[in-house]
Amino acid sequence: MNIFTEYTQVFVFAVVAIIFTLVAVAIAYILSPRTQGKKTFATYECGIEPFGSAWIRYSVHYYIYALIFIAFDVDVLYLFPVALSYTRAARSYEFYSLLIFILILGLAIAYAWGKGVFTWKRRVQ
Amino acid sequence: MTETIVNNIADVIGWETIRTVVGLVGVLVVVVVNALVLTWAERKVSAHMQRRIGPKEVGPFGLLQPIADTVKLLAKELLTPQNVEKPLYYLAPVIVFIPVLVSFVVIPFDARLQVKDINVGVLVILAFSSLSVLSILLAGLGSNNKYSLIGSVRSIAQNIAYEIPLLLSLLSVVLMANSLSLRDIVEAQKGVWYVFSQPIAFLIFFIASVAETNRTPFDLPEAESELVAGFHTEYSGMRFALFFLAEYTNVFIVCAMTTTFFLGGYQGPILPGIIWFFAKTYLLVFVILWFRWTFPRVRFDQLLNFSWKLLIPLSFLNLIVTGGLLKL
Repeated sequence: MNIFTEYTQVFVFAVVAIIFTLVAVAIAYILSPRTQGKKTFATYECGIEPFGSAWIRYSVHYYIYALIFIAFDVDVLYLFPVALSYTRAARSYEFYSLLIFILILGLAIAYAWGKGVFTWKRRVQ
Repeated sequence: MTETIVNNIADVIGWETIRTVVGLVGVLVVVVVNALVLTWAERKVSAHMQRRIGPKEVGPFGLLQPIADTVKLLAKELLTPQNVEKPLYYLAPVIVFIPVLVSFVVIPFDARLQVKDINVGVLVILAFSSLSVLSILLAGLGSNNKYSLIGSVRSIAQNIAYEIPLLLSLLSVVLMANSLSLRDIVEAQKGVWYVFSQPIAFLIFFIASVAETNRTPFDLPEAESELVAGFHTEYSGMRFALFFLAEYTNVFIVCAMTTTFFLGGYQGPILPGIIWFFAKTYLLVFVILWFRWTFPRVRFDQLLNFSWKLLIPLSFLNLIVTGGLLKL
């Protein structure tokens, strides 16, 4: 019986990574001192009392970048199989397909650019 | 005698198991030694660039300073602030190490020195290196600290912005090498290294890697003048050290990737391959350390727009030109 598939090592390394960090933290937990202080466990905020929670709603100006990213990342992944079989046949058909695909992706960038996604408004005048 | 013993053991548990275990131990040694060397080099190089001396008290040339630092970090208190979201806060430093260690599986150190030559090695290394965002997100959310949260949000925006030029510049390499296995890519560079045939892809890839590792000039997630320490503000002792270790190992990994994809990996005259591999990798590491004392930090909109407005269109062009030259 062969337990080794293509990705066994990936799995083993991932498990060892978890064990490694757990052991390191465990050793530190045994060795480290403990303090009893009133303010020791306060959330750090430059020395003042923490002002409310960090979990509030606030505007992330570059949220829209994440949306473009999702579309792009998936599209770029389509190109990997293309790149692998690109030179199998000596035709120019693949080149034109690649060209059209990339041009459409480029159009997406041009559209976002034109819509002003990449220009940040000045809040303070 | 020893040979028969080794053969007997191998018959029972199999060569593949031995290869994995030896590889695992070797990789862990590389990770730890690299982190020690890099913390020392970072301080020494920056000191000499500013006409200071740097660490010199512990050991000759301060070489034992990182070991002293490790002992210190081990003996520091593991503070857990009272307002944190405990599961997320504890989980973040544990999973920060998975992508780092898995990336080593496919890196070819020498012609035969590789844990496993996975046939989609490029995809494995890219998939796991983008997973490192996850632990940054958990650390930022779990800490319940404004600096951590802002730092992690920035870090994610930056990572996903530079992920795409990274992928696109690698695509032109894959186009030329016709394989996703890292060893095949190195072997394909026998005649001409891709840094000469793909100079634009090399530059884009290296810039994007520096951004992915959050190094200066792209170190906004941990800009100390505004965000204290970024996503690991609330971590102390060994948990902080794990983030630190992962960060330095990431620097090594991106340099090793650049070496593999563009600088001919382990190939070079006279000397054995592994020496060439480490020499090229550490040369790139030095360049990254050099960047830190040369470039000022960029503004955040400049950072994102540099990727979307310049790097991505440029890598599209590069891809089209590469594809055209291969076919027409």
